[in-house]
Amino acid sequence: MARVVELNNITKVEGHAKLLLNIGEDNEIKKCELESIEGSRYFEGMLKGRRYYEAPEISSRICGICSCAHQIAAIYAIEDSVGVKVTEQTKLLRELFTIGERIRSHITHMHFLSLPDYLGAESGMDLAKTHKDVVLRALKLMKLGNDIIFTIAGRDLHPVSAQVGGFYKTPSQEQVDQLVQRLKEALPDAIEAAKLFGTLEYPDFERETMYFSIKEENTYPMLTGDLYCSTGETYTREQFDEFFKEYHEERSTCNFITKDGKSYMVGSLARMNNNLDLLNENAKKVLEESGIKFPSNNPFLIPFAQGIETVHYIEEIIKRLENFKVQDEEPIKAEVKAGRGVGVTEAPRGFLIHEYEVDDSGTITKANIVTPTVQNLKCMEDAIKEYLPNILDLNNEELIIKVEELIRSHDPCFSCSTHFLEVEFEGKRKDA
Amino acid sequence: MTKPKVGFYSVTGCQGCLLSVIFNEEELLGVLEKIDVKSFPFIKEKVYDGHLDIVFFEGVVTSKHDEEMVKKIRDQCDIFIALGACATTGGVPALRNFTPPENIQPLIYHKALEITDVDPSPVDKYVKVDYYIQGCPPDKKEILGFIDDLLRGKKPLMYSKPVCIECRHNGNPCLLEKGLPCLGPVTNGGCNSVCTNGGLVCWGCRGPAQDANFELMIKVLKEKGYDEKFIKQRIDAFEGLKYKEKEDAKKKWLE
Repeated sequence: MARVVELNNITKVEGHAKLLLNIGEDNEIKKCELESIEGSRYFEGMLKGRRYYEAPEISSRICGICSCAHQIAAIYAIEDSVGVKVTEQTKLLRELFTIGERIRSHITHMHFLSLPDYLGAESGMDLAKTHKDVVLRALKLMKLGNDIIFTIAGRDLHPVSAQVGGFYKTPSQEQVDQLVQRLKEALPDAIEAAKLFGTLEYPDFERETMYFSIKEENTYPMLTGDLYCSTGETYTREQFDEFFKEYHEERSTCNFITKDGKSYMVGSLARMNNNLDLLNENAKKVLEESGIKFPSNNPFLIPFAQGIETVHYIEEIIKRLENFKVQDEEPIKAEVKAGRGVGVTEAPRGFLIHEYEVDDSGTITKANIVTPTVQNLKCMEDAIKEYLPNILDLNNEELIIKVEELIRSHDPCFSCSTHFLEVEFEGKRKDA
Repeated sequence: MTKPKVGFYSVTGCQGCLLSVIFNEEELLGVLEKIDVKSFPFIKEKVYDGHLDIVFFEGVVTSKHDEEMVKKIRDQCDIFIALGACATTGGVPALRNFTPPENIQPLIYHKALEITDVDPSPVDKYVKVDYYIQGCPPDKKEILGFIDDLLRGKKPLMYSKPVCIECRHNGNPCLLEKGLPCLGPVTNGGCNSVCTNGGLVCWGCRGPAQDANFELMIKVLKEKGYDEKFIKQRIDAFEGLKYKEKEDAKKKWLE
């Protein structure tokens, strides 16, 4: 049976997106297009002509759920272009609040977006009726993530204190000690949450792809570093435009990114596949006990990977903060010079690149932002194409549910897709 | 008493305002028991298409699709609340109105986009708004306060004093006096001066305060050494459209 499936509003994902499928008589997949229907905002154009120190504030508005990562990537890129070296304390505090963001983002995606699919509920709100303890635990962990960000960076969404050169305001020792206490108390909760995701019945679906993540020396990716591909290649952050190709396909309204003509994946699964040995003790233990084999090629396991990462990151922050004594520091002043700067950081959904060029007066002359979801877009499309043959005997309604689950498990963030564009071709699509 | 039917909706934006609702972690479940949430795109699957008592609407209108959406939802509800900076002032995306076209042009990959794009605007350009919850993001407790007032049949009151009042109450040193480009004096508060508490100048995310004296603000900033271009860019970041609205109205009186 030939069929055209239009899924005009993919729900329970961050931002707005749609999917178009055209499946022929012989079950041949003629069309599989995943697109953002988020209106265009042109951040890169709006950043041009502004002062260098304004980039973190403006670009944070690209995305609510990963506003910290956008700020950090912008700060790194600007510091790289104007030549600022920051203190060890600044580095640590930056790690802290972006990890806070990763915790709240992971927990939100796992429980409110993904878990209802596996527990037969329509939404996280319905889950609160049937699995109240699970939802309460999730809310507690989200609050912890948010409170880490608020304490370190002054606000949980679009933080205020992190700036080029350091922090406007540093937390007190007492606040840091309280955070450590709460993190210790939260660790068992995070372990239980990860264990729960280790028991869910994920679809048995494997597809090989390249996994890209930041690589740090002797530590699971925290904040920034070189870019490592599971094929074995490593690139410095300045080389980012050497490995990937950004292009536009006539049939589509979006830009795509590929490496050597192939799609690749960024995010939790990629980070884990590339850095398994570097996980902390409890994270390793939960993974082992789950019986789920990693590295894995099953994209449905992304929420489970997020659970393992949450455990790992909580352990990691406790380790790093145990003997930390807060110093009173002022942000380091930039001596402005012309230059190009690249900032790379791991956002919850994968690595994020900001690139700026600044002239000798400190004015931004070029801005380029590459988000995780834009990188994952082609990978998601390819995964849908490969998954479809497994579910073709389902009717359209059931098929949509399964495809949506697959998209959702990738945790796309369509608000972030600065390079996505919306176009409606009147008439043309209908006859496809 | 039947629970009010409430819808949360969003068009183009960062979805931070809807997240602010969810990030009321401790109160969330209690609130959800008191209202009948019919739509919440971020966490609910089914798309609801009926009458609503209260709507919280997030995002900036940047396309024909957004425009149709906001009009449709307004028609479906009794009380329409614009949620957050994008919906109330246009927020950062509305900066595009003040960005040179040559900055934007190279980013338009497809000709057809020019047809669907509209100048980014707050929702009150297209529909009647009953209440505004300001801020980028809004104060998450303020959202709960609105829900609580409406549940008790009270008319929610909007804060109408500049950021400086709360900033002083919080004991912060004046960043403007330090020579920094703080827009606190012309910006509506109600945010508990969260940015200046953290050492960051006010960028004006809640829009102009009542009787905001932009002329004096600009004069002071010039005296502090900021040039016209910088000052204009800073005001435009969040308050550009609302400031322009005020200026245009003033010009009309003079005609």
